[in-house]
Amino acid sequence: MASIWTLQFHSLYFPHRVSSTVAKLRTEFTLSQGRLSLNRWSTNRKFQLKAVRDSASSNEDQNLESGKVAVAADTKTKDPVAKFQETLISLPPVAFVMKRHTRSSFAIGLSLSTAFLVIVVRAFIVRRSRYNRPGSVEDLVRRGQLRSDRRGISRPLKYEDPFNNPLVKVGKSNSTMEMCGKVYRLAPITLTKEQQTIHQKRRSRAYQWKRPTIFLKEGDLIPPDVDPDTVRWIPANHPFATTANDIDEDLAQNNVYQKQGVPFRIRAEHEALQKKLEALQNFNNCRHFCRHGCFYLLTIERVFFVQEHVN
Amino acid sequence: MLSLIPSPTIQFKPLFPSKTIKPLKPFSSKSSIQSVLQWNRKPELAGETPRVVVITSGKGGVGKTTTTANVGLSLARLGFSVVAIDADVGLRNLDLLLGLENRVNYTVVEVLNGDCRLDQALVRDKRWSNFELLCISKPRSKLPLGFGGKALTWVVEALKSRQEGSPDFILIDCPAGIDAGFITAITPANEAVLVTTPDITSLRDADRVTGLLECDGIRDIKMVVNRVRTDMIKGEDMMSVLDIQEMLGLALLGVIPEDSEVIRSTNRGYPLVLNKPPTLAGLAFEQAAWRLVEQDSMKAVMVEEEPKRRGFFSFFGG
Repeated sequence: MASIWTLQFHSLYFPHRVSSTVAKLRTEFTLSQGRLSLNRWSTNRKFQLKAVRDSASSNEDQNLESGKVAVAADTKTKDPVAKFQETLISLPPVAFVMKRHTRSSFAIGLSLSTAFLVIVVRAFIVRRSRYNRPGSVEDLVRRGQLRSDRRGISRPLKYEDPFNNPLVKVGKSNSTMEMCGKVYRLAPITLTKEQQTIHQKRRSRAYQWKRPTIFLKEGDLIPPDVDPDTVRWIPANHPFATTANDIDEDLAQNNVYQKQGVPFRIRAEHEALQKKLEALQNFNNCRHFCRHGCFYLLTIERVFFVQEHVN
Repeated sequence: MLSLIPSPTIQFKPLFPSKTIKPLKPFSSKSSIQSVLQWNRKPELAGETPRVVVITSGKGGVGKTTTTANVGLSLARLGFSVVAIDADVGLRNLDLLLGLENRVNYTVVEVLNGDCRLDQALVRDKRWSNFELLCISKPRSKLPLGFGGKALTWVVEALKSRQEGSPDFILIDCPAGIDAGFITAITPANEAVLVTTPDITSLRDADRVTGLLECDGIRDIKMVVNRVRTDMIKGEDMMSVLDIQEMLGLALLGVIPEDSEVIRSTNRGYPLVLNKPPTLAGLAFEQAAWRLVEQDSMKAVMVEEEPKRRGFFSFFGG
């Protein structure tokens, strides 16, 4: 018996054998605008099958088989699109297969469609959350960085201190947490007071140190009443340290504690400048006086000289 | 790494607790709290004010100045008045990190010489008016040793008795080494924060410095472990924080993860804690500042683990 499928599809190339019912099926596979369009299956399957079975006969089968060979020979010379079309046509329609095993097919179909739906929905949600405008104010409020009560965008913060951090997602068992894409586990501190005391004793034995109170230049003599452990030697060419103590300590302390008024050195310089100006002014006055005074005396002398000569 | 402090009475809270938590105390009216993460309460200041804290390490380049700048600004942002002192006589760089290098006109040397008053040498940060910077000296000046420590003690006393009130925190950025600069910096301090990195050279220097601090009478010493790489710890290429604690025997103030944003923030003169959104290192600094205020220490650290393997049904959200 010829297969039902070959009978149906070969009717495309043997139009004189096509019944009206098969023609309906043929129209399901049409080439429109160079593309193969698959329309929805019509529900007239039963009708088509019946038509096909009625027309089946041995003679026709042989003719069909020869036709099949002729068709097969023809495909080699046809273009890829037609070849693809024929390949598709040769595939058994899913609906007909499904009709054989109704219950399991239905279950498989249902589970596949459910899985596909869940994946699509999840991808949509993830994409939507990813493509929120990054760094926007709303994003900051959502993450808990900014107050929301002034904006009315999201609910107010519900934690008291920085250690209940919304960026840190605590796991159900409270021992693991997820942060910035990494998973962390809490490891408690194991240092006890006794261990701290042991470390302190160790250090006190290892590092015997006295605060240096005397800073001497290399080569200087240590004063007699000074503990050598409290002496710190400074090289003479040290770039940022000097042992020369040019500053009066009491004066320096007063300068640090001064709260108001002109600082000491500025005032001292100002006073010095003032004195200098006054001195300069006095000197100029004196010089001016002397100059004029001498001229007057010279004038008087000349007058006397002239008088004497006249006389 | 961020940390959680589970006290015996408080359980880990779920992400969205059912009850609304009301604030325990009203916010300070002087300055509104504008920390990066908006909390419902302010940390409770413990200890006597002003709290004079020296930030030291021994080894150079471990992050003392970065810690001083970030913790200081975090404290200022929480509403406390802070004065940060750069005690490095020859190599001053706290002003660079804070972006205030163009505003430093006078230093403590000028104050000692009488060229200016102490309040004229303090540089107020324009971003946070309750944060001030004081530099010891300019790079080319020489400070007479012998009364460097005395001078800093006078400065701290003068800050306590100033007209606008004593600051809550005085942070002293200590220079590297255990030389005269170190001695100057630790003289007026009551507490110390030891900054270290998870490598053996830094740990040895840190141990030595801790010994010197204890000899000098400073007992309240807490540790900040900087530049932590959790991936290297997981691969056992780096010591874990617990190993470091076992070696040094000090309480943990904070664990700061390695962050490339530190270099960018240094270049910009914009400390890490001011970034929005915050980086992990910035959040860790903020938490360390919180613990410093409350004189608390970490009770647990986070250890990176392998992520959960996603099974077949993970497609369905499992």
